[in-house]
Amino acid sequence: MGTLWSPCFVIVSTLSPTESGGVRSRVRDRYQRWLSKRLPAESSVVLKNRRLFIFVSKAGALFLAALLLMLLTAINYQNNLAYGLTFWLGTMLMVGIHHTHGNLLNLKLTGVGAPAVFAGQQAEFQLRLDAGGKRAHQSVRLSWPGSECCIDVPARDTVNVKLYHRVGERGWFYPGRLRVETCYPLGLLRCWSFVDLQLRALVYPTPIPGPPPRSQGLGGDEGGGSSAGDDDLSGFRDYRPGDSPRTIDWRGYAREQPLQTRLFAQPQQQHHWLDWKDYDSGTEAQRLSWLCHRALILDASGDEYGLRLSGLELPLGRGDRHREQVLRALALFGLADTEAS
Amino acid sequence: MRFADQIPRNALYWLLFCQFTLVLPHLARIPPWVILVYVGAAAWRLRMLKAGEKMLPVVVRLPLAIGAGVGVYWSFGSLLGLEPMVALLLIAAGLKLVETVAAKDGYVLIALGFFICVTQFLFSQELPTLLYTLVNTLLLITTLNALNEIPGKRASWAPLGYSAKLLLQAVPLMLVLFLLFPRIGPLWNVPSKSQAGVTGMSDSMRPGEVSELSRSSELAFRAQFEDVIPPKPELYWRGVVMSILEDGAWRSLRWREVPPDQRLPEPRPLTGQPIEYRVILEATLQNWLFALPYAESSTPGVANAADARLFTPRAIEGQFGYQVSTWPEAQRNQALSPWRRRTELALPTGENPKAAALVRSLQTENPEPAALVSATLSYFRNNPFFYTLRPPAIEGRDFVDQFLFESRRGFCEHYAYSFAVMMRQAGLPARVIGGYQGGEVNPLNNTVIVRQFDAHAWTEVYLPDRGWTRVDPTAAVAPDRIEWGIEEALREEGSFLADSPLSMLRFRGVGLLDWVRLRYEAVAWRWQSFIIGFDNQFQIDLLQRWLGGTEVAKLLALIIGSWALVLLPITWWSYRGRQSVALNSEERSLNALCKRLERRGFPVAAVKHRGSSAVV
Repeated sequence: MGTLWSPCFVIVSTLSPTESGGVRSRVRDRYQRWLSKRLPAESSVVLKNRRLFIFVSKAGALFLAALLLMLLTAINYQNNLAYGLTFWLGTMLMVGIHHTHGNLLNLKLTGVGAPAVFAGQQAEFQLRLDAGGKRAHQSVRLSWPGSECCIDVPARDTVNVKLYHRVGERGWFYPGRLRVETCYPLGLLRCWSFVDLQLRALVYPTPIPGPPPRSQGLGGDEGGGSSAGDDDLSGFRDYRPGDSPRTIDWRGYAREQPLQTRLFAQPQQQHHWLDWKDYDSGTEAQRLSWLCHRALILDASGDEYGLRLSGLELPLGRGDRHREQVLRALALFGLADTEAS
Repeated sequence: MRFADQIPRNALYWLLFCQFTLVLPHLARIPPWVILVYVGAAAWRLRMLKAGEKMLPVVVRLPLAIGAGVGVYWSFGSLLGLEPMVALLLIAAGLKLVETVAAKDGYVLIALGFFICVTQFLFSQELPTLLYTLVNTLLLITTLNALNEIPGKRASWAPLGYSAKLLLQAVPLMLVLFLLFPRIGPLWNVPSKSQAGVTGMSDSMRPGEVSELSRSSELAFRAQFEDVIPPKPELYWRGVVMSILEDGAWRSLRWREVPPDQRLPEPRPLTGQPIEYRVILEATLQNWLFALPYAESSTPGVANAADARLFTPRAIEGQFGYQVSTWPEAQRNQALSPWRRRTELALPTGENPKAAALVRSLQTENPEPAALVSATLSYFRNNPFFYTLRPPAIEGRDFVDQFLFESRRGFCEHYAYSFAVMMRQAGLPARVIGGYQGGEVNPLNNTVIVRQFDAHAWTEVYLPDRGWTRVDPTAAVAPDRIEWGIEEALREEGSFLADSPLSMLRFRGVGLLDWVRLRYEAVAWRWQSFIIGFDNQFQIDLLQRWLGGTEVAKLLALIIGSWALVLLPITWWSYRGRQSVALNSEERSLNALCKRLERRGFPVAAVKHRGSSAVV
């Protein structure tokens, strides 16, 4: 009989996460511990029997009440057809347990990731859903408090899902356990699971224009000389694999000279240091926001810039990767789990 | 409201269709204005969908609901009773339809829909009702399924197929529950059906009432015989015994009019071979049962009255099955008690003087009671009396005088009425019997199908040496009626089922149609006898036969065994995806890449099986 009732019936509705208070919070803690033991965090989760819960939904409760009324009618009027219909619907509900449960079973959820966002924005989490086998998974609802989506995963197919969550302060944002649920096919039963896909999003400080920094323009070392750029021709060198075809001296090549690459001189570039010590006033959060704002402006201007925080220095640099490093350092500055990934 | 909570468009279409099929079988039972409310509500909801009409505001909906409730009360004169209840249910569903915007309203409507299905069964448990409700159930489950598809999905027939699958998988379990669920008596008194819409014999007979009944082709009852069916002229299905002539109508004795010591039947010696048969009676809302005399029944709750008829203490509100043994040769010559003799001779004084004079002249010629009976029948036979379904109306007092000497055209009740009066005038105890005569024999399953147009009235006369004797004056006037049935007797007049030109029964005698109809009747009989007869006793008998006992352990074994047998395949079906966890294309190419890198000497920490992360 064990296999018949493998969908386990668990009532969790009484344990609302918003409640607080001594006993409640202890119960909630215990529940969370139990949940994390039963459903450990993994970046990819296949919904198996032990991860799935099933119970009648609100509509199901209404349906059961209607069935009870029908049964009473059948008894009082001693009407065999009314008995028959009542039993038919009742057993269909039983069969429905397996259908609803089977609709989530073997669904594989993978947390793909989330691009970094600034504090206060919506983070966009990407998830991938794989149908485990020959079965389609219909009307699967993924939700966090305040954000949800409902999709079909056809059999032997993969569906990518974007789910949004408003983020708070800078640092790593963890959206918490994702609720995966379905009421398909009847809506009378709800099968669900809470999965922790180890999803997190990096949250940069909010960029805020700050007061002029004390060391504006200071710390300018020697200007960077020349590097490969697009402006005035400054000379030639031998072609190396990887050079852009646009920089090749095709004219010389046509004169049967060896393949050469043209070099260009760039105008004198400014470079800046974003320094924690630039500011006298402001809280930590404010200073990081100001620095963030300046970093974005410098990045847009194309100038080189570096970052100096207490115990951390990022060398001068430029480009998207450099900007991300700087913003990441600002986001995680002073936080415990600075480098986890 | 969020888009996700709204009722999906497909589901709404299914829902509207369901409402239509649900209301259809109730059309005849509810006042037409309820249907108008219903159709109006559905049309408004469609307009909301198509033309973006707004939902009716509460100030309109609330008075509408209250007004409809008052309307039902006004139409039926009461809110108690099955028909007002159904009307209220339909109105509730209709009004709910107008405000159905959210998916949760859909669930309410579906629950209401199932309840409306059940109310259908309270009116009829016939085979067509069952088939129709099967369709309705499928439609309602389809709606339920469509409600749970993701919003905005394209319309398809997929929910219909899935619902059929679900319902089919539930059938075996349903049968187990149906067979095993204990049938207990009613828990409390429930509203019953009103008189309206039930055709059948009443307990009084005014001339013209039986002929009214003969216009209907509705089923009265079916009887299945164990052996040979008696010849048609012998099939006098005795029902109500009318011993009182009052205000120009014959009526039966009320319970309290009978002295307590006269209520119980006297034991009578049973001789000869009994005829065994089972009757399934349609709802009559009366408490007498029809049987061939002299009848006794082994069915619990069926009793014999002093005037040798079967009855139940409760009125028959739904189909009712009972087993009858008829002893045609049972002795009838019991002595009449003084009270009964007085009752069976009572006549209103001073009425029908001409008839009384006629009876006196017949009696002087034939002083013997039996001779007087045949002389009176001869009088009917030898004078120009006509058997017709369209007799002229007879007004005022002295009905018998007017009938015997003026109109001379009548249906069975006219003849029975007059004959019983004449016998009483002659000093012979006589009474009118209401019931059915004949019926259609279905040789396929040895049943007799009796319809309302087989309704008949005849008389019983107490002859000193033979006791109560059946005398049918109609047979003297129209022997065809008894020999062949009403259809033949009225062939010349052409009035048989004149009001229902399309009735299948008008085509009796057409070979193929007859064959189809009788085959269907045989199936319907099987169904009826099963569904009506399935009670506590039948249940226990069945279990005795199958299990050899009704011990708890055996029942439990049956329940668990059958449920396991049914649920295991379904369980296997829903979990079968487990074995075939295949890699998808991305994972396959990732694995191939890892292998190539490994061959080049770059071991990569990629994971090659499903279920865990693939981090490079």
